[in-house]
Amino acid sequence: MLEVKQMNRAVIVGHKSIFRETVDALHKAKLFQIEDFNEDESGLHIGRPFDNIDEVSKKLIQIRSIANLLDIDEASSKKQDEQAVLSSLDDNLTKLDAEIDQMIDQRSKLENELKEIESLKKELIPFVNIPLDLDLYRGYEHLSVFSGSVKEDIESAVSKIISSYEIFYDAVKGTVVLFVTSDRSADVSELLAEYAFRELRVPNVSGMPSDSLSSIASKESTLLKQLEKIDTDIESVKQKYADFILASNELLSIEVQKSEAPLRIATSDSTFVIDGWVPQENYAELERIVESATNGRAFVSKEEVKEEDEKDIPIEYNNSKTTAPFQEVMDLYSRPSYKEIDPTALIFISFPLFYGMILGDMGYALFLMTVAFIIKKAISSDTVKSLMNILIYCQISAFLFGIIYGEAFGFSIASVHTEHGVTEGLIKGFETITLFASPIAGEMITYPVHRTHIVMTMIVVTVLVGLLHVNLGYIVGFINVNKKHGFSEAMFEKGSWIVVELGIILAVLGYLGMLPTIVGIAVFLIGFIMLVKGEGIKGPIELPSLVSNPLSYTRIIAVGLSSISIASTVNLIAFDMMWKPGTPIGVMTIFAILVFLLGHGLNSVLSIIAPGLHALRLQYVEFFGKFYEGGGRKYDPFGFIRKHTEE
Amino acid sequence: MVTETLYMDPAGLKAIGAGIAIGLTGLGSAIAEKDIGSAAIGAMTENESLFGKGLILTVIPETIVIFGLVVAILII
Repeated sequence: MLEVKQMNRAVIVGHKSIFRETVDALHKAKLFQIEDFNEDESGLHIGRPFDNIDEVSKKLIQIRSIANLLDIDEASSKKQDEQAVLSSLDDNLTKLDAEIDQMIDQRSKLENELKEIESLKKELIPFVNIPLDLDLYRGYEHLSVFSGSVKEDIESAVSKIISSYEIFYDAVKGTVVLFVTSDRSADVSELLAEYAFRELRVPNVSGMPSDSLSSIASKESTLLKQLEKIDTDIESVKQKYADFILASNELLSIEVQKSEAPLRIATSDSTFVIDGWVPQENYAELERIVESATNGRAFVSKEEVKEEDEKDIPIEYNNSKTTAPFQEVMDLYSRPSYKEIDPTALIFISFPLFYGMILGDMGYALFLMTVAFIIKKAISSDTVKSLMNILIYCQISAFLFGIIYGEAFGFSIASVHTEHGVTEGLIKGFETITLFASPIAGEMITYPVHRTHIVMTMIVVTVLVGLLHVNLGYIVGFINVNKKHGFSEAMFEKGSWIVVELGIILAVLGYLGMLPTIVGIAVFLIGFIMLVKGEGIKGPIELPSLVSNPLSYTRIIAVGLSSISIASTVNLIAFDMMWKPGTPIGVMTIFAILVFLLGHGLNSVLSIIAPGLHALRLQYVEFFGKFYEGGGRKYDPFGFIRKHTEE
Repeated sequence: MVTETLYMDPAGLKAIGAGIAIGLTGLGSAIAEKDIGSAAIGAMTENESLFGKGLILTVIPETIVIFGLVVAILII
């Protein structure tokens, strides 16, 4: 439980005539992680892909491009039978290819036409109010035509400089068309420049502009209709073939993966050597599978793992189903290395514990738990499921602490007694019971524990929790070092911290007069020397962390208080300032309820983020810092997780 | 002769002290986190698996404001 899976290095050797069978069997078993072969002086070479690779990868590219064109998403489909898909693969592929090619071609042709029409339309619009055939705009020898837009009517200005001209002006669109004799065109263009003339291209069509425009509009609508039809056709093809495309993509990917396997394997002229890793518990199964697939003609053997190879061993977690979701939290940081303790089971306890201690509110816990269950049901992704499971564990803990703290949505469920009098709780008649006086700051411990009234005690409690957690970290570190480098080194590296702490405690007892102070100082010095020997100069530098790390756990109460403050502020605004329960119901009641819902909705989201991040940080920084190395490589066996097909 | 003396309420001074403790430590955390956070996001765009490490580095200065809060509570 606290260890990752034991791995065996296995080597499979056989004749090339059974190469394919062996690879198929390994792929199906999904137990064996192939270690890539690098060519060296051994005389072995990287293998060549199996013969069918060209054909298979060609088909794969084809199917992927079709999937891309049709924009097929990875929605969960019905599982297809492998044989059925394979037998119809070639036929379907050619059919699909032809059909889709044609459709896509036609679509792009239509789209191009549409674009042309659009631009023609844009060119025509300025001329639409000028009653002149478009053919009349061009083809003159002694006439110059100016067509463009101006800011104001320029006829009077033009008439001042030349006498013979023909002008059309559309005041609505500001379009002007001016015919002058060619010899005066220079003067006219100078004049036009003064009136901010911008030339417009005359559309390359004939007839009246308004007629052209209406014929274009009707053409556009037919094109749009055609385009729509093609889109529905494509959509129907997509509907019809989506399952097939997903399934065949998967099968071909599997086939390519298998065919390319020899590229990772050492071969000679007539033999192959597959090197890799298999979990110890599955070694016998691997042997059996290879034997039955090759009639005993391939040879499987176990190899000793050398110490320098330990960092290459792929890591597979070995956790029960209950604790497994927290592997996601581990992976977020780093996978454990081979010989160290896998702390998944430890954070399975401490992470929800801290989260619960911070949030500690029955209302939020129940609400968020419901949300987590709904998301878990709705989304099929494994990662999301694990995260939701973590959230559910956290909410269970938050609910339990909610009972201890007696809080629901920022309200206290029991009555609160302060020097200003008694405030009634959410449950009428539920009186707070006074248990005993806390040794700190004269605060009274009650049930339910009113966090806001015993802040000093809570700070001390959280620091103590921190001390326990940090020391658990040292103990785990001790076990790790002991396993790797032996007892004495573990004692110097990790045990020394505990000796130093012991020294400090004894010194404090000495200060209180229970012991001679010298004992504490002596123990502290012994610990200090051990620390310097174990960790070098790093040890003394990190010594202040003995104080700062446990103090960091005060965030448990600090973040909790901030969450309560937000919640009770929302309650205050809604049910005190806007509307008091008991007073007549009016418009303000609705606003009060709205504020209540929105405020607590916001605080619910914050209740995932703030306690979650802080609880996580306490694991990663304060706890893992004491022992964790990580950096393990993920165990990724040769095989494929089928989603759309079944054998 | 009667002299008028302006007294400052000790409770008010305490509150100011607590406010300063929180405010300044909050600023300190924020300044430190801003640099680390932007660097961490930069690193994450290169390599997504650095999320865990980035998160840790980003939240390390948060301890400063927690200490500020503890001090503020101690003052009040």
